[in-house]
Amino acid sequence: MKVALAVNGSPWSGEVEPRLILADLLRDRLRLTGTHLGCEQGVCGACSVLIDGEAVRSCLVLAVQAEGHEVTTVEGLDPELGAAFLRRGAFQCGFCTPGFMVTAEGLRRAGRKPGRAELEDLLTGNICRCTGYSQIVESILECL
Amino acid sequence: MDAGQSARIVAGTGKYLADVELPAGSLEVAFVRSPYAHASFGEVRVQGLAGRDLDLHPLRIEGPGLNPQPWRALPLDRARYAGEAVALAWGANRAAAEDAADAAEIEWEPLNPINLGDRLFETTFDSGGVDEAFAAAAHVFEERFAAARQTPLPLEPRGVIAWPRDGRVELWTSTQVPHLVRQYTARALGVEEAAIRVLVPQVGGGFGLKAHVFAEEIALAAAARATGQVLRWVEDRRENLLASAHAHDTAVKIRLAVAADGTFLAFDAQVSADVGAYSIHPFSASLEPATCAQTLFGQYAVGACRYRAVGFASSKCPVGAYRGVGMNAGVHATERMVDEVAAQLGIDPLELRRRNAHPQLPVTTAGGRALDSGDYLRLLETLREKAGYEGLLEEREAARRRGRWVGVGIGFFNEHSGTGSTDYKKRGITAVPGMDAARVQVTAAGRVVISTSAAEAGQGHADTHRLLAVRELGVLPEQVDVVEGDTDLAPYGSGTFASRGAVGVVEAVVRCLRAVAGADLAPGTDVTRTVDPTQVFPSGAHLAVAEVDPVTLVPRITRYVAVEDAGTVLHEQAADAQVRGGVAMGIGAVLLEEHVYSEDGQLLTATLLDYLVPLATDIPEIEVHHLHSPSPHTTLGSKGIGEAGTIGAFGAVANAVADAVRPQRGKLWKLPYSPKAIFEALEPGA
Repeated sequence: MKVALAVNGSPWSGEVEPRLILADLLRDRLRLTGTHLGCEQGVCGACSVLIDGEAVRSCLVLAVQAEGHEVTTVEGLDPELGAAFLRRGAFQCGFCTPGFMVTAEGLRRAGRKPGRAELEDLLTGNICRCTGYSQIVESILECL
Repeated sequence: MDAGQSARIVAGTGKYLADVELPAGSLEVAFVRSPYAHASFGEVRVQGLAGRDLDLHPLRIEGPGLNPQPWRALPLDRARYAGEAVALAWGANRAAAEDAADAAEIEWEPLNPINLGDRLFETTFDSGGVDEAFAAAAHVFEERFAAARQTPLPLEPRGVIAWPRDGRVELWTSTQVPHLVRQYTARALGVEEAAIRVLVPQVGGGFGLKAHVFAEEIALAAAARATGQVLRWVEDRRENLLASAHAHDTAVKIRLAVAADGTFLAFDAQVSADVGAYSIHPFSASLEPATCAQTLFGQYAVGACRYRAVGFASSKCPVGAYRGVGMNAGVHATERMVDEVAAQLGIDPLELRRRNAHPQLPVTTAGGRALDSGDYLRLLETLREKAGYEGLLEEREAARRRGRWVGVGIGFFNEHSGTGSTDYKKRGITAVPGMDAARVQVTAAGRVVISTSAAEAGQGHADTHRLLAVRELGVLPEQVDVVEGDTDLAPYGSGTFASRGAVGVVEAVVRCLRAVAGADLAPGTDVTRTVDPTQVFPSGAHLAVAEVDPVTLVPRITRYVAVEDAGTVLHEQAADAQVRGGVAMGIGAVLLEEHVYSEDGQLLTATLLDYLVPLATDIPEIEVHHLHSPSPHTTLGSKGIGEAGTIGAFGAVANAVADAVRPQRGKLWKLPYSPKAIFEALEPGA
């Protein structure tokens, strides 16, 4: 099937298999490998991207469902978020980091200003196995 | 962590295994896996290769107490657990490869799954004097404890690329043990080690899971040699949960002889671990049961001990390493037992620990462990002060009067780190070299290149090694390059596991740096040092406060204080990060994580909706404090700290939740301490 969408502000169109998931389109065809696949079960959040500003799991979205939409990946984010993660040492292995940053960007675009406990709740769609979360939560609080 | 790598992580340009650029025409592999827990099979027809096509040599681990059953990376005619790889199927992309795997034709003949099979490992220990101590005891306590079957679950699953080039195979793999992968892959293929170059890309977490030599690594290397094709396999989460490595699944029965004043006199223990279908490479079936048994009551001055530790085979995924390995089950059993004794004797749990902790180090324990350094009484005292122990007990009483189920728990422990060849052989593990190595070169341009046998998976080795070079040589951090994870460039050694980085690896780096300093950093200086470390013993005391919801029975940790003594701390930020991450993992392991098999041997927890790990809402702020009792066995006095957080949490979190339900007459003994376990413990007659 033919699909046309915008990724990080640039238009892309091409022929894809109907079963192709958005994550594989981004990673394999567009070579945007910052979107990581941690479970392909819709749980870990490492593959999070924004579709029209809202965070979704790109392992649960078919590429063809993104037809006509604006997709933002970690490669297209404001560097301010990354700078906060760096400053606070908010990662160790870094595999979950793009997903957390994308989730944070979604909250930012929605104008959310949660307190710490509410933010922790909003981040339960992303798993980190290395840090124990507190530096991630603090980095994001700083940017909202 | 390396500044360049950190910048790439937040830019989304990190290069993990699945991000490595491959040449056009590379094939994607999906494994054909056994749908049965136990089955024999005949001919395999697949677009790919099966075990009989590859002629792989069986590997076996021999050693004291081990049953040296052979393991073939791809079995020829029998699968021994659900999910075991039996053939590679390939296609142009993962979906096509999965189609090929689904289309494979195999004549299966299902067999009965085995629950309690052969003894793959067995050992006994007797210090002498146990029966006499029990005869003289004022009290004898007997308890049983069980650690659940779990899995390390790094967020990046495993993955392998096998790339035939110039008569060799370049084997890219997301591993913690590059030299061991080269060694055992070469052996299974029947080739010289020089025919294989193992390369480690950026690794998305290991936690012990990636410290094994896996069937998929051997199978891809063999298939790439056989076909000349570049092959890639990227594990999905279902495979990762089903067929990578599991952990623990250990039952402990302890009898403890106690004097009238609460002094521990002797213990007698039975450790029984379900180690799964094979003796896992390289650690063997001894890893979990032997480590657990050796850990029991090691922090206490017990006069005599006796134990038997057994690893039984079953039709389940093999059991291997997970941050802390058998020390977690050992500390859980020990520390839960101490709290039960404290409750029954009416002695404060902190006071009972104070009375029984080794009063002075160094000391050799009844179990034969040479504890190198530490100040256990100061550790407990520091925990009391930092946590405000008496105040917490008052708050607990006030909360209980209002009907809340609040508990305070302590986890006091020591652990071994940096195990060398002698200790591995003693434990029956002959497949792990036990040494670590470093090489330091000064280039013509005056740059300092440090390469080590370790493999980074998020710990920040580069940063720590660079810091050591700055301190030892007075160079600028920008002048130092750190190389790991390439068997062509890095010296031979064990890899990254058992918190050995700050012991053997750092020791080798420091010895190299001092030799280079002695040569005045002359360009061309090239020094390699190999260190066979002497085991060192970090220690710690943790405290957790737990609250259990009386209606939903959901436990929550509301406060956490960790006091660690890992000797000299090399890099405080990296050490604190290891402790916090380790504690978070321990909270998950005690409250949430559990792999469950059905009676017919099918894994019921093969998604992240079924296998639960902690989320941001599950982890409180973790306070970390350090004492510094330098080890006499390392030049800088450092000890490992990668596992301490997790090990301590197996005591503190478990005791806090157990304390929260104690007034309801519930006794928790089997991990995880989930709402279901709490419900069952509270049942009348349970």
